[in-house]
Order: sequence, then C-alpha cells, then structure tokens
Amino acid sequence: MPPETPQNGEYLVAAYVIATAILLGYWGALLRRARRLLKEKD
Amino acid sequence: MTAPLAQAAGVVRRGLVLGGIGLLALGGVYVLALGHTPVEARQGLAQKIFYLHVPAAWAALVSFSLVGIASALYLWLKDPRLDRFAAASAEVGVVFSAVMLTTGPIWAKPIWGTWWTWDARLTLTLFVFFLFIGYLGLRAAVHDPAERARFSAVVGILGMLLVPFIHLSVYLFRTLHPQPIVLKPSAPSLPPEMLTTLLISTLVFTLLYLGFVTTRYGLALVDEAREEARDAT
Repeated sequence: MPPETPQNGEYLVAAYVIATAILLGYWGALLRRARRLLKEKD
Repeated sequence: MTAPLAQAAGVVRRGLVLGGIGLLALGGVYVLALGHTPVEARQGLAQKIFYLHVPAAWAALVSFSLVGIASALYLWLKDPRLDRFAAASAEVGVVFSAVMLTTGPIWAKPIWGTWWTWDARLTLTLFVFFLFIGYLGLRAAVHDPAERARFSAVVGILGMLLVPFIHLSVYLFRTLHPQPIVLKPSAPSLPPEMLTTLLISTLVFTLLYLGFVTTRYGLALVDEAREEARDAT
C-alpha cells in the first residue's frame, strides 16, 4: 500500500461486521420461524 | 402432515439450504475482497466496502422491481402466488436495503467526511426503504387476504416506479454519490481484479436473494396451509 493511502481499516471492519450481522440475523430469524411453524404442524 | 403442508415444508427447507450456501459463499467473497483484491490508493481499505454496498443495492433494487412486476401481474391475473411472491420479495428487499443504507454511510464518513447528505440518490433510497416498510406494515394491518393483496399491490407498483429514478438520480441531479461504474452505456471503468470481485459478490447476493425469498415464500405457504386445515376442521 503506498504511504499516502488513507488508513481507514476500522470503517471496513465496521461495515463488514454490520452487513454480516444483518444477513446472518435474517437467515437465523427465518430458520427459527421455520422450526416453530413446522413443529406446530407435526 | 397433509400434502400441501409437506410441500410447503419442502420449499422452506430448500430456501434455507440455498440461503445457507449463499452465506458460506459470502464468506468466500470476504476472503476474495480482503485478501486478493488490490487496495485502492486514494480511498484506502474503506473502498472495499464497495464489494458489499453495491451488490446489496443491486439485490434491493431487483427485489423492489420484482415486487412491482408481481403486483401488477397480480392485479391482472389475481393469482395468489404472485401476491405471496411480492410479499416475500418486499421483505427481503428491506433486508438488503438495510445493508445498503448502513454500509453506505460507513464508507461515506472517511471518503466524504460526513455520514450522510440529503442528496437525491441517498434521499430517494431512504424514501423507498420507508415505503416498503410501510408496505409490510400495510400487509400486517389488513386481514382480508384479497383486500390485503389488492392494497399492497398498488403500493408495490408505486415503489417499483421509484427504482429507475434511484438509478438515474446521479445523472438527473447534482449529487455527491459516485456515478455507475458497471451498469452504464460504456464499458465498466474498474480494474479487472476489482470488477471480478464485484461480479462474484453480486452473484452471491443474487443467490442470497433467491434463498431468502424461497424461504419466505415457503413460510407463507405453511401459514396458508395451516389456516386452510383449521378452516376445514
């Protein structure tokens, strides 16, 4: 990386962590809802 | 378990597997973006937020466009599958919008010096996000299935009409937001390694969209099968 390149890795980490949390969280919510609904059916 | 219920459960399982594969592939995108794609000299590491922000925007705008198309077809054909798909796509679109609207300001702070600016692209995107939250709220508030489908179809079509304005807003208005570098009339203005990572990430987000929508559609089917079974007894 050239020395004049801005050092802003903390923003990169924050963005990746938040995006992962949203996507993983939504998939987890779908999984929980599926388990609950399918358990009710059995 | 009745036959429609077993069928719906199969759809849910397929969707969850597809979504799970998408999330694993997203891990691969992180490795590719962080370890094998060059650092942009002027923006530094923050530029790599682009590999999440742009595919999330793509997935969100595709979701909302498909809501509008399915809604218009529903008003014409009155097929409940179209309404079910529109509802699933709207919810998933809101999730991808949340990714877009959080990663965007995190990139903007080090690059623009501010988290947010009320320019046309950002304001329109936020407006569409709220519009589809309203769409989901409307669906939750109306209990008659035919009325719910009809009312929400109108909102879904209106939401879709805003999508081209979001894409073209950087040409139509003076805005801080960068202009398109891939979806534009001329060739993409991005080095090949960066373009490859961006395209792979876009494919992965499309896979996530398919997985999430299939699951959400299947869950709606399970709900309906349960209600039908309850009505029959």
